[in-house]
Amino acid sequence: MIIDIHSHPVLLDVINDSPEKLEFRKQQFGVYKSGKLPLDFALKLMDDAGIDKTVILGEDYSADSAMPLVSNDEIRAILDAAPGRYIGFAGADPRKEDAPSELKRAFAELGLSGLHLNLSRTRLSVQDERVRALFQVCSDFGKPVMLHAGYSWKPDTPSSYSEPILFEDAFIDFPKVRFCLAHMGWPWWEETIMLLMKYPNVYADTSTVYMDSPTKWFRQLFSVSMDIDWLQNSFADKVMYGSNMPRWRQVRSMKGLKDLPLRKDVLDAVLGGNAQMFLGKETIDER
Amino acid sequence: MNVKLYEKQLESSKEFELIIISDEVRAAVKDSGIKNGMCAVITQHTTTGIMVNEGLPCVEKDIEILLDRLVPYDYPYVHTHMLPSYGTCAGNSPGHLKSLLAGNHCIFPVIDGKLVLGHAQDIYFAEFDGLQRRRYYIEVMGE
Repeated sequence: MIIDIHSHPVLLDVINDSPEKLEFRKQQFGVYKSGKLPLDFALKLMDDAGIDKTVILGEDYSADSAMPLVSNDEIRAILDAAPGRYIGFAGADPRKEDAPSELKRAFAELGLSGLHLNLSRTRLSVQDERVRALFQVCSDFGKPVMLHAGYSWKPDTPSSYSEPILFEDAFIDFPKVRFCLAHMGWPWWEETIMLLMKYPNVYADTSTVYMDSPTKWFRQLFSVSMDIDWLQNSFADKVMYGSNMPRWRQVRSMKGLKDLPLRKDVLDAVLGGNAQMFLGKETIDER
Repeated sequence: MNVKLYEKQLESSKEFELIIISDEVRAAVKDSGIKNGMCAVITQHTTTGIMVNEGLPCVEKDIEILLDRLVPYDYPYVHTHMLPSYGTCAGNSPGHLKSLLAGNHCIFPVIDGKLVLGHAQDIYFAEFDGLQRRRYYIEVMGE
């Protein structure tokens, strides 16, 4: 099973029923010239890349914006519109008093499968009690967390809140929670791979192509900056394919990984096996 | 002189795809009612082309191989980075360059109300950056 662990549904037609909503999302997410993406076409793009399931990330920064970037109910609506193709992660703005209860509702009532947080956007420390309260909900429900890490292309997102090493205490304090360091934590990929090796509950995803073609970028990251055997032999069970759709087309980002000189078992793990472990058996079975 | 403009849509299903649109162009010429003049077929995009060639799979494959040889997929293109104005990555330089080679339009005579094509000629919408939803114009001009 091939899984894209990191995509943003901001352009999907299912949730953009007015020009105002679409424009709000384009400005907030920073995809200024993109148009609405019809769901049936998004599914064709998945099929073209051979992707069985894509994780769609909810995002909520409504403490300082008009509405969630993608609300939990909207994530549910997308899941219902394309049964079996998407896995939904909730958003919750830690700055809002009702964030823990909203997250519980997303898990218990909406059936969402994890939490997505971008602490650069909320400008909160991972040690903030309001953030830790959300991790506790994830621990209680056995749900994983997608943590934005490193560089963010969104407007108004200082990177200093998302340096991977800052998250280390959370990995220790919430050992039952599986965390994903998005984007390999780039440019702090050395911190990321240290954390991958040290903590069994920490994963990372490949939604990290910021320069060059995916083929050239992944070659540089995994076989020049690193030795390819570091990935193959030291954290092959921790890195997950993520596209960062709509910033990169899925088929192209995946080609960059397939062009690496990886053993088949490692490539299979990166393209889906590791995501199944991160998401948990329950999530995979129920979809 | 009369001018009739038609906007057509199609959906490509592959990164590289040659889609024959000869029948669509013939139909537009017929619908226009124009008896003698010219017909222009023009793509709206910068990673597609309009081409004429013989509609044979072997010829189409040779065109694909030639363009891939001239414009390889993996090359240190300049147009390969995050684009601040888009918020997305520029990963389609080969499409832009193949579009340049193919050209964005073709022109055909219209005589006695019919599109004039050579017996081996077909008109192609050439996709170099699929999958995408695409648009092109057919403009018929004359009397």
